Amino acid sequence: MERMKPAFRQPQAAEDRQAAVSVRGVSMVYDGVHAVRDASFDLAQGKFLTILGPSGSGKTTLLRLIAGFLEPTSGEIFINGRAVSAVPPHRRSIGMVFQKLALFPHMTAAQNVAFPLKMRRRDARTIPERVERYLELVRLGGLGGRRVHELSGGQQQRVAIARALVFEPDLLLLDEPLAALDRKLREEMQLEFRRIQRQLGVTTINVTHDQREALVVSDEVIVMEAGMIEQNASPLDTYRAPATSFVANFLGVTNRLSGVVTSLDGDRIGLLAGDHLMVGAAAGPGGSLQIGARASAAIRAEQIRISPDLFALSGLETVLSGTVSDVIFEGDRVVYEILTVLPETGPLRVFDHDVGSRRQYRAGDAVHLGWNARDLFVYKADPEPAATKPDRGD
Amino acid sequence: MDALEAAAAVVWPARFAAAVPYLMLAPAVLLVGLLVIGLAYIGDTSLRTLDTSTFLLSDDYTLANYRRALSESLFRTVAARSLQASLIVTAVTLLLAFPYAYLMVRTPSAALRKLLLIALFLPFFIGQVVRAYGWLIILGNQGMVNDALSLVGVAPLRLLYNYPSVLFGLIQYMLPFAVLMLAPALTAIPEELEAAAHSLGANWLRAFWHVVLPLARPGLVGAGLVVLTLTLTDFAMPAILGGGSQDFIANAIYDQFFRTSDQGLGATLALLLVAAGSLLVGLVLYLFGAGTLAMGRRR
Repeated sequence: MERMKPAFRQPQAAEDRQAAVSVRGVSMVYDGVHAVRDASFDLAQGKFLTILGPSGSGKTTLLRLIAGFLEPTSGEIFINGRAVSAVPPHRRSIGMVFQKLALFPHMTAAQNVAFPLKMRRRDARTIPERVERYLELVRLGGLGGRRVHELSGGQQQRVAIARALVFEPDLLLLDEPLAALDRKLREEMQLEFRRIQRQLGVTTINVTHDQREALVVSDEVIVMEAGMIEQNASPLDTYRAPATSFVANFLGVTNRLSGVVTSLDGDRIGLLAGDHLMVGAAAGPGGSLQIGARASAAIRAEQIRISPDLFALSGLETVLSGTVSDVIFEGDRVVYEILTVLPETGPLRVFDHDVGSRRQYRAGDAVHLGWNARDLFVYKADPEPAATKPDRGD
Repeated sequence: MDALEAAAAVVWPARFAAAVPYLMLAPAVLLVGLLVIGLAYIGDTSLRTLDTSTFLLSDDYTLANYRRALSESLFRTVAARSLQASLIVTAVTLLLAFPYAYLMVRTPSAALRKLLLIALFLPFFIGQVVRAYGWLIILGNQGMVNDALSLVGVAPLRLLYNYPSVLFGLIQYMLPFAVLMLAPALTAIPEELEAAAHSLGANWLRAFWHVVLPLARPGLVGAGLVVLTLTLTDFAMPAILGGGSQDFIANAIYDQFFRTSDQGLGATLALLLVAAGSLLVGLVLYLFGAGTLAMGRRR
């Protein structure tokens, strides 16, 4: 993870106890395939939730169910305590920013923003003033007369946000609207979403496959995979205490290990990987690990210390040796790929923490690696054998 | 390869490259040019009157044919009938074609889309004249419709040789043209725009009215122009389904050329038809803008 700092955000005080959105046992089946399987969560008023997952994980389907474009096969969705499955989209008070923005090309920016007010038959005399106020909110004051195609990509994003918010919806949905932007603009717009959301206090659900975006903008993160909710936690907990090995591997740059459980001592798990006995922390639902059973483990690249000197790693609970196989310079960090003798494991990816010393390893150097027991997450073994190559982060 | 390129360079040096686009345009220009020559020839003929004793055209120019064409009530009736028909047929055809095209483009069922496409193309394989004769069989005094009506005790109705039957035949003939021109225009409207309109509070009707219809305008204008001009200049439907009682301008021109042999008056009527058609097209483009045909460089 390049920048972890923004993830440290204090959750806002819950003023309203009633959930703004409550999803209860929702499933969606297309042609016998579960796009969403038994999803349940509550979202408090004013919170910013991100549903994070790879493509095909069901996150967009879940969003479209909440928006009302799809009807769940089973389960129920409540918005402000009201069951909405029978309510068509145009009667739900939901503002949505679409993946391709879906601005109306035959209208000006102001006409786009005025559209939901017109459709809701608001007093025509108040519309222009309100439209201008929301255009100013998204920093497009004075540009209302422009046609959509006369605006830049970032400005179009802002029009889409203003249009989704101008009628003060109960809920704002973001369907990966930033996916098509280049990185710089995307990061700018992420903060912009966050600023506007805080300013208005509107409950927001964002869908993305960008882990950085999820950590930066959200109060809560739901990680989805294969239609199932894997974890629902704060960004910090999602990153620090991934509940499943999927979450551990999806966020950050994570190395996968596998072995056999040798001891269970509360949270501390003994794991035998090849000839190496290591200690890790149980993650996810407890009690699923058994002595003698296979388990998989995950360690993040930034949690591994690297040193040519074994004694420098003396405080760490797991230490092993290896050989540098590749050095990847990424500007703000150096990534080493280290070959070890661990079975079913490719080279371990390690971030160099000791940038101050400017020590550089070269391919072929013999090094020692070490980590703390609390940083090695141990999970029940994956159904499929652990991949031979560690997953790359985004 | 080098030798080939060298040979090509001799035959067609690189500095000629700029001429290529114009050269490719040449056949089309030639074709249109021939048409203009024909038009000039017709223009010349239209200025000569027929000598009824010798059946030869006069040598000197006169506007007598135009005076006749514009003053005689027969021609005025025929022109008004054609014009009225083209407007009615255009309106009704667009009204029927739009839902058909919309369903064809938007249906999630591939089978239905194919069925609609086949149903659309099948009539194309049957020419206009054959189709008109088909209607004679169905709508005639001893036709299928009257046969069916007699079974339930209804006396035979006169379904043919009147204005509505001509309009009916024309609409049936024009429908595929209109659908084919509307479908691409509707395909170009992202479905997400309709979803967005719904999420912003528009019910189906209002989303259609405020989003789909305005964005479908280029297709509607294009389809409308095609149907309008084809109807205005149609010959077979009024001739066969109208049975001589419902002549359009094209039928009147035919009569002048091949029945009374007054080529001068026929040419005059032909030119007036061209003028009326151009005026109508010009008016539509003026009202809705050439940009609606996706011409020009907007966006």
